[in-house]
Amino acid sequence: MKNKMNIMIVDDEKIVRESLFHWFTKLGHTVEKASSGFEALERLEKNPFDLLFVDIRMPQMNGIELLEKVKQAYPETIVIIITAYGSIETAVKAMQLGASDYLLKPFKPDYLSLVMEKITQQIKLSSEYNYLKGRLEKITRFDDIIGQGPAMTRIFDLIPEVAQSDASILLVGETGTGKELVAKAIHAKSKRSHFPFIPINCGAIPDSLLESELFGHQKGAFTGATRSRKGFLEVVSGGTLFLDEIGEVSSKMQIDLLRVLEEKKITRVGNSYPTPVDFRLISATRQDLEQQIAAGHFREDFFYRINVITIPIPPLRERKEDIPLLIEHFLEKFSHETAKQVDHVTRETIRHLIAYEWPGNVRELENAIERAVVLSKSRTIDIEDFSFLQAPTPMPSKARSLREMEKYHIQRILEECGWNITRAAKILDINRVTLHKKIKRFDMQKDA
Amino acid sequence: MNAKKRTIGVVAVGDVPELAPKVIAAHVSGYLKLAAEILTPLAHPAYAFDDIRCQYDAGKILSYLESCPYDHYDKIIGVFNVDLFVPTFTHVFGEAKQAGMHALVSLFRLAEGHEGNNPSSPLLFERAAKVALHELGHLFNLFHCEHRNCLMHYSGGLEDLDVCPLYFCRYCSTYFQDALAHH
Repeated sequence: MKNKMNIMIVDDEKIVRESLFHWFTKLGHTVEKASSGFEALERLEKNPFDLLFVDIRMPQMNGIELLEKVKQAYPETIVIIITAYGSIETAVKAMQLGASDYLLKPFKPDYLSLVMEKITQQIKLSSEYNYLKGRLEKITRFDDIIGQGPAMTRIFDLIPEVAQSDASILLVGETGTGKELVAKAIHAKSKRSHFPFIPINCGAIPDSLLESELFGHQKGAFTGATRSRKGFLEVVSGGTLFLDEIGEVSSKMQIDLLRVLEEKKITRVGNSYPTPVDFRLISATRQDLEQQIAAGHFREDFFYRINVITIPIPPLRERKEDIPLLIEHFLEKFSHETAKQVDHVTRETIRHLIAYEWPGNVRELENAIERAVVLSKSRTIDIEDFSFLQAPTPMPSKARSLREMEKYHIQRILEECGWNITRAAKILDINRVTLHKKIKRFDMQKDA
Repeated sequence: MNAKKRTIGVVAVGDVPELAPKVIAAHVSGYLKLAAEILTPLAHPAYAFDDIRCQYDAGKILSYLESCPYDHYDKIIGVFNVDLFVPTFTHVFGEAKQAGMHALVSLFRLAEGHEGNNPSSPLLFERAAKVALHELGHLFNLFHCEHRNCLMHYSGGLEDLDVCPLYFCRYCSTYFQDALAHH
């Protein structure tokens, strides 16, 4: 906890401002002075303050009015009312409106010292409470899928319905659309919620390792298997297994998984005795699996087994109405996590963020807001804070030839894949050598 | 006025026991190893009297001292026997602007024993010396210190002041030496 605070003295009497300014400066706090409520609000817009000392009697905007506005816009800022004219009514009103204390001028220096000790304790407790609350929310809250547009509303309606059954679910959506969050929400609403939720990214684990990860192995099953190990299909017992990037799973693994889904039994690698398993399968993919089946890359029987219910997750560019809400959510999240008070976004910035195509979807937006919050030097995020966002590759205005269109398409896919040649080649359905040749021929370069 | 650079001037203002500035000057030289000189006393600060509060405005006295020609001294400590106040507080034992040039010490509220009786002279002067050295610390840009066993720890009342030591903690001592080196 920081002991040094940002303090603002708001009083129309210069001598009082100066007196308290010197007192708090001696304590090592950062102190600013404002001669009116309006000036105080202006300063608050520019910088966050931990503590405000506000005089009640001020022209134009009195201390109570200022207190009301501060508590409305910056509820975390602590306000202490000071006045030379004490009345029980004003004191009660100030406390009801959220003032932390009420000081009658002149006060004993040691009394102010006591008040400061109390405030320091209050800030410490509040900070600990917020931290623990955040931790608890992270553990228990699965409904942090943000959206209020029709596309997301449909998904919200669907989640509790499909959660009741044990049918396999296939979530289809681009990278970063929040497929895992939807899977977690389904698990959380299901009768299996007290059992584990195990997510596995099939695309990130080599096939040989995936087999051992899922099925487990007996001691001595292969070189390095120095002890027996349970696989995730056993560990997940009673819970939900989430297989992300299911389209990346090899044909052999598809057969093995199909057997498990049909027989509800597994056999560890290197073992010959089957073990019964009980789990619900939720899979996710960003590929068009029907196209993969047609191309012979994905088994049809496995597809129908994992695809009892399909939930399409829309990309962010198709639900732009949710962007302001998402911005607000991530701003709150990262302001808290980074302990930086960044809580405003200019309208121009919101318009800019809505206009952007977000090829990386919600995850890209989340990362962008995190970066902006970390680097922001004021409490307001401006359009310049997002200068790192790449403008989408513009379609050449007179792109009419097949060559120009091909170049444009390859460029776009490469950018979508972050210039991962293997992944881009797979999407373009050409081999990597061909892609390299085309990149060289079209003189394409990865932007810095 | 004697021309001496890097010297702390101690000046009695109004009716102050003759020994008080001498004790303060001795503590400045003894504990802070700075040259201290007793200056010609100034008249009673009637200009700072507040009719409503019946106390003396520390801010006005500081402004007055700033207008005095003490160019040959690094810092000035004014010693008073009147009740000093700043607008927000009921009273102050002493006052100084952070990193300023002038500090005030008042004996008025220090002259109170633990049972309401008059304290012995040694205790009164020791308190005055503590307030003077503490305020001098502020003049050398030292902040209040969290360590209870440090001269720069904030003392709100006489009980706190009596347990406060006459020396800086290790950190404040370093800051003080740094401040002297860069002064």
